[in-house]
Amino acid sequence: MSQTAVKRNSKPTSPWKPSKKLNNANAVQSLNGRWGYLFTAPFFVMFLIFGLAPIVYSVYIAFFNWDALGTQEFIGIANFNELIADTRFWNALVNTVDIWLLSTIPMLICSIGLAAILHNPHLRGSTFWRTILLVPNITSVLAIAIVFGQLFGRDFGMVNIIIGSLGFDHIDFIQGTTSSHVAIASMIVWRWTGYNALIFLAAMLAIPGELYESASLDGASKWKQFIYVTLPSLRNTITFVLIVGTIGGLQVFAEPLILGGSYNGGDSGQFSTLTLFLFEQAFVAYKWGYAAAIGIMITFIVAIVSFINFMITRKLAGDGK
Amino acid sequence: MLFNKLSAKTAALVTAGLISMGSLGAITPAQAVVDCTTATADTATCTVLKVETFGDVIQPALVADYRKLHPEIKLSIKKSDLDALNGTSLYTQCAAGGAGNPDIAAVEISYSGYWRSYPQCFTDLRTLRTSVGNKSATELKKDYLPWRWEQGVGYNDSVIGIPTDVGGLEVAYRWDLFKAKGLPYKRADVSKAWNTWPKFIEFGKKYMAKVSAADKKKNIGFMDNVATIYAAMMNQGTQKYYKNNGTDAGQLVFKTNPQVKLAFNTTIDAGKAGIGTRIGQFSSDWNVGMTKGTFAVMLAPAWMMDYIKGQAPTTKGKWDIADIPGGGGNQGGSQLTIPKGAKHKQEAWDFISWYLAPAQQLKVFQIYGLFPSTPSLYTDPDLVGFKDPFFNNAPTGAIYADGVKKLKPIFEGKLQRCIDMAMGSAISLVINGKEKVPSKAFATGIAAADKCK
Repeated sequence: MSQTAVKRNSKPTSPWKPSKKLNNANAVQSLNGRWGYLFTAPFFVMFLIFGLAPIVYSVYIAFFNWDALGTQEFIGIANFNELIADTRFWNALVNTVDIWLLSTIPMLICSIGLAAILHNPHLRGSTFWRTILLVPNITSVLAIAIVFGQLFGRDFGMVNIIIGSLGFDHIDFIQGTTSSHVAIASMIVWRWTGYNALIFLAAMLAIPGELYESASLDGASKWKQFIYVTLPSLRNTITFVLIVGTIGGLQVFAEPLILGGSYNGGDSGQFSTLTLFLFEQAFVAYKWGYAAAIGIMITFIVAIVSFINFMITRKLAGDGK
Repeated sequence: MLFNKLSAKTAALVTAGLISMGSLGAITPAQAVVDCTTATADTATCTVLKVETFGDVIQPALVADYRKLHPEIKLSIKKSDLDALNGTSLYTQCAAGGAGNPDIAAVEISYSGYWRSYPQCFTDLRTLRTSVGNKSATELKKDYLPWRWEQGVGYNDSVIGIPTDVGGLEVAYRWDLFKAKGLPYKRADVSKAWNTWPKFIEFGKKYMAKVSAADKKKNIGFMDNVATIYAAMMNQGTQKYYKNNGTDAGQLVFKTNPQVKLAFNTTIDAGKAGIGTRIGQFSSDWNVGMTKGTFAVMLAPAWMMDYIKGQAPTTKGKWDIADIPGGGGNQGGSQLTIPKGAKHKQEAWDFISWYLAPAQQLKVFQIYGLFPSTPSLYTDPDLVGFKDPFFNNAPTGAIYADGVKKLKPIFEGKLQRCIDMAMGSAISLVINGKEKVPSKAFATGIAAADKCK
């Protein structure tokens, strides 16, 4: 009994109301201790099974010639050596970076622009517009890819019908290298612009009004306010959007898959991306060890690109104050 | 103390829950008339056969027939239409010791060479016996084309799959467009005019000479995609990428087999002749082009006829079928397998042996045009006499039967599909103008194929 009382006194900051029944207080303490682990366990168990274990496993098999149905042979870093010499890998990397650039920059400009429009206090039905911005994002990637694939069709695609009616030759979007990247990038821009616009809008709403007031007292036009007040204040948000966009952009998969209808990323791999190449090696060629090595390389590349991104955006947006 | 009490209580609750759930599952209302159409899991009266397939390997009309014969069986069909996907789930399931295996899995013949090397993933169909007639795969073998049967025989001689249809390969062409351009358009004349591949290319050039400059600008061409010639020619040789050296695995000969180079170069010639539209098959342009006459010719396995009917119904009667240049061909076809981890092997075997028996294959041919793999039908008047009004009353049964009979058995090895894709990419490099020198592209293809393992 006395022990319980001491325990209770030693924890005066407990958020729980001390109850009249000492047993209950005891229960609360047990909860804080051991039961806490139990309640958080589902996440950690899931993470261990579906997150950490596959990562560790894939690092392990990256050093093997791994035939899941046959034999597994330890080959050291041979997979990585082969990968460095594999033109398909470098082709996929160049394609991925190209698609990422073609999608990220227009998306950034469009979403900041959209956010600035929505930020306008005189806009009517702003909740409606904010909601509708999310529609592309919740649409299935597969559906988007199928529709865009038809829009960019060479003979009967709507984009080419417009190009043709302007008197130009049809563009074979899917066979061309840059043109296929444009088609894929347009899907990504269409899908993510609205989502990111909302993030930018939230950041804009958090900018103190006094900054604008004093800027307008100093005689700054709306445009100058945008350049010198809004943009610098968005620095952290731009960094965030860019890093999330980089992680996503370097893993672009479903769009090129559906556009080409197969895992090779176009007849000559003209829009093969890193993840598509990984998937092809793992589940078409069934070279799991090699695919795991590709996965590890993707991780490094994402880390490096994110770091470069981070440095550049810090520079570009200025150090602020 | 309390912790223990609580956990004991929880445990009791959970146990009680499990028990009640279990008993709920076991108690199923007995049904007067067996209706399993809505069953999603096995019950006392219904057996759900899980089938993983693609396209129309399992035809709906026949599924309805089987329901009448066996109302207690519900076929739960899952389709994966992206190229390799059906193979992917089989692979991962097999790696997991058969966990999650369906009762029946369709394997496309491009992958049959691959799966033959992993017979441990499948049930040996010689060990199962049909409920009616007590037949195993050993007794059924004589009903099927020998080379099609071999595609379902594993390295250890176990039978892992029973052949569905034979693709066959002939040429579907628009006789109305041929006639308008002053070319031969009757099927016998056309077949004669292009009885070799060089003549086929010449024929295409004559067609293109009549296509106006404005139409050429709209990408109108003679043939949908010349890249399809490669696969067709590869099947007309005596060997492809492998030599049958008496072993299960065979011997890789793709670097030295002259047929590879011949097929490659002929395809490039066709590309240079400008007779193709370079439309990717199964793309939206291809589907629309079929209706609009963007191309007048496509290589057509028997199953393609149903696809054309579905995509271009307004062109009914304007198509015809002529013999493929070079004589005989095959593209497509599948094996139905029972994976190792299947739950209902007996029911699956009963279905497969029924579905792929000659009588059912004839019905599939009559409704959907898929060509049977059972030679006893090749002299059957119902097949030989079959005329298809969509294809200008062409005797499609007789035409495909002739083509399939001309085909010599070819040894298919494990890396078949991978090498095919490598060579296909190389051809596309030249046809789409990304590589000017064909010999360089050929070397690129061989080097890529060399990476297959």
